[in-house]
Order: sequence, then C-alpha cells, then structure tokens
Amino acid sequence: MKKYFAIIRGAFMVGMVYRLGFIFTILGNLVYLGVAYYLWTSIYETTNVMRGLTFNEAFLYIALGSAVFILLKTYSDWWISREIIDGNIIIDLIKPIDYQLMTLFTNLGFVLTNLIAITIPTALMLVLVFNVTIPYGAGTLLFPFSLIMAFVISYCFDYFTGLLAFYTESTWGLSITKDTIILVFSGALVPLQFFPEGMQKVLMVLPFQTMYHTPLMLFTRPDQPWEALAGMLLVQCGWALGLILLTRLFYLQAIKVLRISGG
Amino acid sequence: MSLIQIKDLNKHFNVLNRREGLGGAFLDLFSGDYNIVRAVDGVSFDIEAGEMIGYIGPNGAGKSTTIKMMTGILKPSSGAILVNGFPPHANRIRQAQIMGVVFGQRTQLWWDLPVIESFKILKDIYRVDQKTFDDHMGLFNELVGLKQLYKQQVRTLSLGQRMLCDITASFLHNPQVVFLDEPTIGLDISVKAKMRTVIKELNQTRNTTIILTTHDLGDVEALCRRIIIIDKGKVLFDGDVKKVNALFGAYRTLKVQVNDFDESTLKALAGQMIQHFGTNNGISISEVEKHWTDITIDQARTPLADVLSFVMTNFPVHDVRIVEISMENVVQKVYDGALS
Repeated sequence: MKKYFAIIRGAFMVGMVYRLGFIFTILGNLVYLGVAYYLWTSIYETTNVMRGLTFNEAFLYIALGSAVFILLKTYSDWWISREIIDGNIIIDLIKPIDYQLMTLFTNLGFVLTNLIAITIPTALMLVLVFNVTIPYGAGTLLFPFSLIMAFVISYCFDYFTGLLAFYTESTWGLSITKDTIILVFSGALVPLQFFPEGMQKVLMVLPFQTMYHTPLMLFTRPDQPWEALAGMLLVQCGWALGLILLTRLFYLQAIKVLRISGG
Repeated sequence: MSLIQIKDLNKHFNVLNRREGLGGAFLDLFSGDYNIVRAVDGVSFDIEAGEMIGYIGPNGAGKSTTIKMMTGILKPSSGAILVNGFPPHANRIRQAQIMGVVFGQRTQLWWDLPVIESFKILKDIYRVDQKTFDDHMGLFNELVGLKQLYKQQVRTLSLGQRMLCDITASFLHNPQVVFLDEPTIGLDISVKAKMRTVIKELNQTRNTTIILTTHDLGDVEALCRRIIIIDKGKVLFDGDVKKVNALFGAYRTLKVQVNDFDESTLKALAGQMIQHFGTNNGISISEVEKHWTDITIDQARTPLADVLSFVMTNFPVHDVRIVEISMENVVQKVYDGALS
C-alpha cells in the first residue's frame, strides 16, 4: 500500500506545481456560477417549487455540480492516451506496480490538489457570495463516501477513454464526446428532475447519473428516508465495482495490442 | 543456471501494407494485406550473473525488441526466455522487482518534481529500506556529486545530468540485472566517461548483470568483456570483445575531399594505391557523398600515416577527416567473414 501512497503524494506535488492555473479555474468558475445564479433566478421567478426542487436546492445542486466537475476533472484520459501513443507507457510497465491502480492513484493525487486549490475555495464562495443555505441530514454524512465512489466511476470512464488510444492512436474526439455525454446524462448541467419523464427512466439505469446525480441529491436533499439514501448509494457502489472490473478486463485486452504488435 | 536464458526466440510483427494517397488511406481501413516483420528471428544466448554484455547492432536490428521481451513488456511470438528462472511476460510485476531499465530516449523520473522526490517515490514503489536507500544515494553522491542536483526540477536538468539520475534510479532497488538501452546517446565525452565509471563500479561492487545496448563502440570497448552483435533479428557474433576489438581497433576511415573531383580521379586514386601499397594492402575506397571519398584502412597491413601522406602529395586534397569505424561498417565486416 505504501507504494500507492507514494504515487498519490507524487501526483499531488505535480498538481501543485501548476498553481497559476488554479486561479484561472476559480475565476472561471465564479463567472459560471454568477451566470447560473441569474439564469436559475429567472427560471424560478414565478414559482417557488419546480419539479420538486426549491430554488435553493436547484442552485445548490448546480453550483455543487460544477464544483464536483472541476474536482474530478484531472484530464487522466488525456495523459493516459498520450502515454500510450508516444510509448512512454513502457516506463510504467517496467515498474513492479499494477497499471490500473497506478493511474487510479495518480488521479487521486490530482483530485486532492483540485480539492484543496479549487473545490474548497469554490464552496466557501458559494456560502459567502451567493448566500446559499446548506441543509443537513443523514445524506450529508453519506456525501463524502458517495463522492469517493463518484471519483472511482469518473476515473473508470477516463481510463477506458485513455486506453482506446491502443486502437485509435488519437483520442481527442473521443475525450470531448465522453465529457459531453457525462455532463448532460449525469445531471451535472441540469438536474435530472428537469428531463422528460421517459428520458429520466433511461438515464437512471445508466451509470452516468451515479457520478453527479447521486452525490448531489444526497447533499441537496439529505433528509430523504434512509431506504432511499441507502438504495442510491448501493447502486453507485455497484457501478463503481462493476466498472473497475470491466475496465480491468478491457486493459488486459487492449495491452495485447502493445504486447503482440509492438510499441 | 544462467541468469538469462534465451532459446530460439522469435518476435514477428504484422505490419499493415499502407497504400499511398487519400484513396489508399480509405482502402487501408478494409485491408488485410499484412507484411510480417521478423524483428527478432531465432535468437539464442545465455547470460551469467555478473556479466557485462555489449548488445550491439545497427538501427532496426532488433536490440530494443529483445530488451522489451526480457523486461516482460512484449510477449515473444515463439521460443523461450527465462530471467532468473521465470518467463518475464508471465508475471511482469514480480519480475520488475529484480530488473532495472534505462531507456536513453525516455526518463523514468517525474518531470515536474525535484530530482530527490523521484528517488523517494521509487524507493517506496520498489520497497527499498531506508538504509539501503541512504547507502545508494551516498555512493552516487561520491561518484558523480549527485547531491547538488537534488533540489532541481527534472525538466531543468541537462541531458547528461538527467541520464546520471536515470542510471541512479535504475540501480536503486539493487536489481539483479540492469538493461541500459542507449544510455550514452547524445552525451559529450566527459559525461560519457563519468557514466562508464559509474556503470563499471556498480557491476564490480554489486555483481549486477548489465546488458548494454549502444551505438557507441567506445562504450563496449571500455566496459564489456563479451559482445553480441545482432542484425536483422539474427545474432551475427557472440563472443570475446577482444576479438572484435582487434578488428575495430585496426580499422580507421580516412575521409578526403578532393578539388575538381570526378569518376576518373577515384579510379586514378585506386590504381595508384595498388601500385604504391601492393594488392593486399587492406585499403578500400568508395565515394559516399559528393566530393568526399572514404578510404577505409586496415592499420595492421598499411599504416594510416603512410596513406595520408601519399594522398596529400599526389592529389589536390581540400579537406581531410579521420573517423573510427561505424556500426554499419562493423556489421558489414562481420558479414564478410571478418570474425569467422
């Protein structure tokens, strides 16, 4: 385990090297939140509750959604695919370390950098600037755990996209498509309650909603009955485990491209 | 039992025959027209613990492919390969613990971090204890003054400094075997000398087996007792470096640039050489680029100085260079039967 801790530590330090970037991400996020604030204020102009969400809940959902998005945005699909294309992956393959776990923990290091440098400042701004009230309940306690699961699921999508480089030799388009699909289908951009009924049903059986909708609902509606909370969390854990195993199998298949046809 | 046993090792790649142009690129999507490239073709050799081997050959000879198979990155197409008794690709993670690798063109250090942090991370990855780590870093500090680089970001290191750090990293976990793939590429003479001292020292004090791939015959001459020459995937020579040395050492190429050069000058030169030095003179002449003529001389038969003064007095020579024999020439000589 110590070796993986070393990897988290290393990635965290690498993330911290680019401190100037944080300032711009925070500023950009502030602008986005300002726009979202006025947009949702006008949506809620004539009513107090829409699709079962109050303004405060909806805005908290959106704002937190953007904070989580930035938190999980580590560009690991980009660096994994670059490593595969330029052949530097062999440097990782000569080390006594599992490739999936190594990239997972590298990613975790970057996420921790984001957490300290971007997400926490954004959360503070949310409370101070936009004067949002934060609800408390059983769901609040489950939120951190749900966030970790969301991280694992998000990582699996990145890892899968990155590994596609073994076949496609370029993943630019794939990465962009993946980001868009996740942003829309996960409920990060607009709460899933605002989607048409039929589409909601489809989206709830797909894994995307477990990345944003699950943790965000735990946080914005923490007072739901515990069966509902536990159910959401269970589905999320199931997807996390399933995706880890699926991407593991995919790696074993994809690495054959390198091992058989050369690097 | 030998540390590394390779028997009839093959690695064949299927390479798609690409067509030209836009239409060709489209057709390639459906093409099943593959070429089989035999990157490694029936290679066999054993390496004992503590040996230092020069594994050489021209570009594309199959050196790196063999190394990638020994490190477990590539899977052999057929044949057997055992490192410390196990096939490397079957259990990559366990095997990685007993190997160190330096790829001259890449670095295993963390690009954005100070040098010392990379060593600390590697220390944990390879589960090296603190005492071994301190001893190792102390040794390298003594040999090459590594300490002054500790706080520098890897990206700011010069090529030579980075390579020294990479070599330090590859020996950190006291591996049984270290693969050095072109470790001296692009380095100047003084750094090369430093590098050779370090490698020799580690081989002697720790009995680490070292397999050195290089283009620079000087590296092999300075370090290795045994040399394996490979070309087009096949082993051409495997034996004592002294035997090869006698050959390379004796040969020099004299490059001369002659004013008003044409075909007839070359013929005249060859003719007069035979007249002056006799038929069995060990001299061969060829024009390699415009106006430059290569005269390869076997010094065991004709002294270089004699040829030089002869050419200078008889031809309108504009410029002269003397070069050591190149890898391609060595391989050609081996093909011609110079070592058999």
